[in-house]
Amino acid sequence: MTGEVTGMTTAYIWALLGMAIAVTYLWRGLGTTIVAGLDPDSPALQWVACVAYGLLSALISRIIFLPVGVLENTELVDRVGATVFGFVMFFLFRKHIGIGTLSAAGAFGVMVWARSQGFI
Amino acid sequence: MRQHVDDKEGPAISASENPYADNWALFRRGLLDGFSLPAFMVAASMIGYGALVHSAGLSLAFGVVSTLGIWGLPGQVALIEYMLLGAPLVSMLIGVSLANMRFLPMSMSLAPLFRGSKSGWRLRYLWVQFMSVNTWVGLLRRVPELSPDQRGPFYAGFSTICMIAGAGGVSAGYLMAEAMPFYVTVTLVFLNPIYFAFVFAAMRARAGLLAFAAGAVAGPPMYMLTPEWSLPLAGILAGSVGYFADRFLKGRA
Repeated sequence: MTGEVTGMTTAYIWALLGMAIAVTYLWRGLGTTIVAGLDPDSPALQWVACVAYGLLSALISRIIFLPVGVLENTELVDRVGATVFGFVMFFLFRKHIGIGTLSAAGAFGVMVWARSQGFI
Repeated sequence: MRQHVDDKEGPAISASENPYADNWALFRRGLLDGFSLPAFMVAASMIGYGALVHSAGLSLAFGVVSTLGIWGLPGQVALIEYMLLGAPLVSMLIGVSLANMRFLPMSMSLAPLFRGSKSGWRLRYLWVQFMSVNTWVGLLRRVPELSPDQRGPFYAGFSTICMIAGAGGVSAGYLMAEAMPFYVTVTLVFLNPIYFAFVFAAMRARAGLLAFAAGAVAGPPMYMLTPEWSLPLAGILAGSVGYFADRFLKGRA
């Protein structure tokens, strides 16, 4: 996604932002209201937590396989390869979050850089 | 929902061995927990967002206010993409809202953790505004050892450091945008989702892990089927698979 936002006054941009903040808070407030009478250890809420994990994982997977925005300009093999490498390091180092993250991001950066230099 | 983060029941902390003297000590514990890794990840991710704000010709103030106000990267990015497209208002608001729909199940999981604490429960509508994947997981990890009364100050400290890091990151990204080469920008954008992948992969609870694995498989095909509704549908599908598979395995064990 390139280019600039055009045809909007400053006041309109801030009004948009205010509405975006409000519609995001809607989910936060709604969840808090719905849950008021429920026991945190109840099966229903355990299922809801699983839904949250599933939703976040689906989002992450979609970003890696079918990105929109700036990642669209990178190669699928770089994104997936870096993720796989990160998971190998993650398990080698007894599920270390920092090592997994930095390995994956580092590998990705190196591959994108190597491509931009014509090495790959 | 402690069993989703840590299956091991920690020893009950009696008042005499409680390491936290007062609310300020808890707040500092939260700051330190956040400073260990989450704050750096927030800052790095928001550097990428700051660069996006700059490239869209928007102001630094817009970048900081949208970060702290929306406080959810997918929704922030969606807002800017819709503004660039000049999409109709209603479709834009639906898009931003859906991109952050994860906050519904997350707040349903977070808010009850403050029940049993008078002040914590009263502030629940404020706590959910501070909630991001980072602060949610950060609190869940400490739930077994913190009493309901101790969770508020700890969570406030954890959230504070993450929000400072977010505001700092978006500013740094905005100011450095023109100097950042392509490979740095895309790596920073890649960092956020990949970090969360490892945060969830490190969970001990089987139900959460199964839901995580099912979501990773369901995400892309569901997106090809219906881009707008893929996230809630994939979430419900994968969450149910994880929850019921875990119960099934428990029943057989």
